[in-house]
Amino acid sequence: MDIVVFFIASGLAIASAVAVVAQKNPFVSALALLGNLVSLAVLLLLLSAQFVAAAQIIVYAGAIMVMFLFVIAYVGPRSEIGAGERKPWQVWLAVLASALIAIEVIVVVFGATFGDWADLDGDYGTPAAIGKALMTDYLLAFEVVSVILFMAAVAGVVFGAGGRPRRLSDDEVQAKEAESAEQRRREASRAVLDATRDSMGEGA
Amino acid sequence: MVDGVLATLIKSFVLVNILMVFFAFMTWVERKLIGRFQARFGPNRVGPYGLLQPIADLGKMLQKENMIPAGAKPKLYLMAPWIAMACALGAFGLMPFGNVATIPGTDYTFHLYIADTSVSLLVVAAIGSLGFYGLMIGGWASSSKYALLGGMRAIAQLVSYEVAFTLAVIGVIIQAGSLSFVTISNAQDNLWYVIPQILGFLVFFVAAVAESNRPPFDLTEADGEVVAGYHTEYGGMRYAMFAAAEFVNAITLSALGAVLFFGGPSGPYLPGPIWMLIKIGGFLFVLIWIRATLPRVRFDQLMKLGWKVLLPVATLNLLLTAAIVVYR
Repeated sequence: MDIVVFFIASGLAIASAVAVVAQKNPFVSALALLGNLVSLAVLLLLLSAQFVAAAQIIVYAGAIMVMFLFVIAYVGPRSEIGAGERKPWQVWLAVLASALIAIEVIVVVFGATFGDWADLDGDYGTPAAIGKALMTDYLLAFEVVSVILFMAAVAGVVFGAGGRPRRLSDDEVQAKEAESAEQRRREASRAVLDATRDSMGEGA
Repeated sequence: MVDGVLATLIKSFVLVNILMVFFAFMTWVERKLIGRFQARFGPNRVGPYGLLQPIADLGKMLQKENMIPAGAKPKLYLMAPWIAMACALGAFGLMPFGNVATIPGTDYTFHLYIADTSVSLLVVAAIGSLGFYGLMIGGWASSSKYALLGGMRAIAQLVSYEVAFTLAVIGVIIQAGSLSFVTISNAQDNLWYVIPQILGFLVFFVAAVAESNRPPFDLTEADGEVVAGYHTEYGGMRYAMFAAAEFVNAITLSALGAVLFFGGPSGPYLPGPIWMLIKIGGFLFVLIWIRATLPRVRFDQLMKLGWKVLLPVATLNLLLTAAIVVYR
């Protein structure tokens, strides 16, 4: 049973990962990435990491990919990039990066010795066990990550809000008031002119 | 799977069918109640008291032409209602209806829930948020501006209210010390959590109404602004699947409210499933009552309520609960 689920989930994970880069339409690409994340969550479940699997779906599928799709759908069909617009150095860089990752995977897989299955505690992967680990052994890393995320959130608000309006000096305030008074005077005289012209037009 | 593969399959089959029948019955209840609230009769022509109205509606839906609008993305367009429906039904699968039951006449016992994991609540939240992709994909793939705007509104609403919703629920989790529905409902044998967690319950309820896209927060399908929202371009059974998914989501959130704040399937005299049905029915009645009473909010009011009222209140509730649990 586990083996069957494993092969289905890994097959889906690989297929959707290929689809992410192969699809021309960014919306479909993002959906394929979503499929990849869900397949990975299934694999995490097989590894008795229930909490990480659920958190993966809630965080990535529930929040991050939703925002991706939101932006892509708003930007619209303009965002479909033709094949001719690719830059050659990007292609070479991508090939280099994938080759490096492939080498890393090969080294790790063939360098490791696979022993028997590890024995797990009854509460392995439960929220309680993970919470305990985060609050004791990995407290520093946990706090650092939360501070970084907080900084990112504040930075996002600052960038999103744009520059704060500048406080005007007294001279500038007076100039602005004079300008708007002039504007009002012009509008009033134009209204008088229009009214006069209309009444003359009717008379003629 | 607490009872093995076969028993789980049978239980899932039974649960899905009961759920769909319950949904059909609730559409009749909703129309009847709305009619009564507005001094009308509601459906009363098909069968006794109009009870066969859902079946007539189904027959009408089945007869409609299935078409795909020009310019739509066919695969995604067809996929979207299925995503919405599957996620709505899947999330309900974790709801407990009692502990252990025996089939009468035999000594075969089984559990009155399909699965009980240490992360049940998170799984329901995860599947629920996946369900919104059905709305989003449907809105985008229809290639209609109204549908796209409806889908966008759904996402913006989900993202805004999920935060307050989760924070409100965490109060219950802290008090019960578990994410498992069975443990949470068993922990309320003496006192329902609605009393100590009244702040959390209020936030939960408002956020749940918003998450299930029910009036007064049904901006995703505000007819005066975006026609019918994400399902503008859908007709026949595909539309019916969206509508069913939406109502099943409302049922799931009612069941969640019953489990988290009203003791779930526990109660005197009657068996667990009956108590669960009574509590879900109570929630749904209030939802319908609200629909008949309150006008739809504007989108800026919706956002303001979510971020400036519910979020601070939920955070306050969370801090109070944590402090009390630690220092008691």
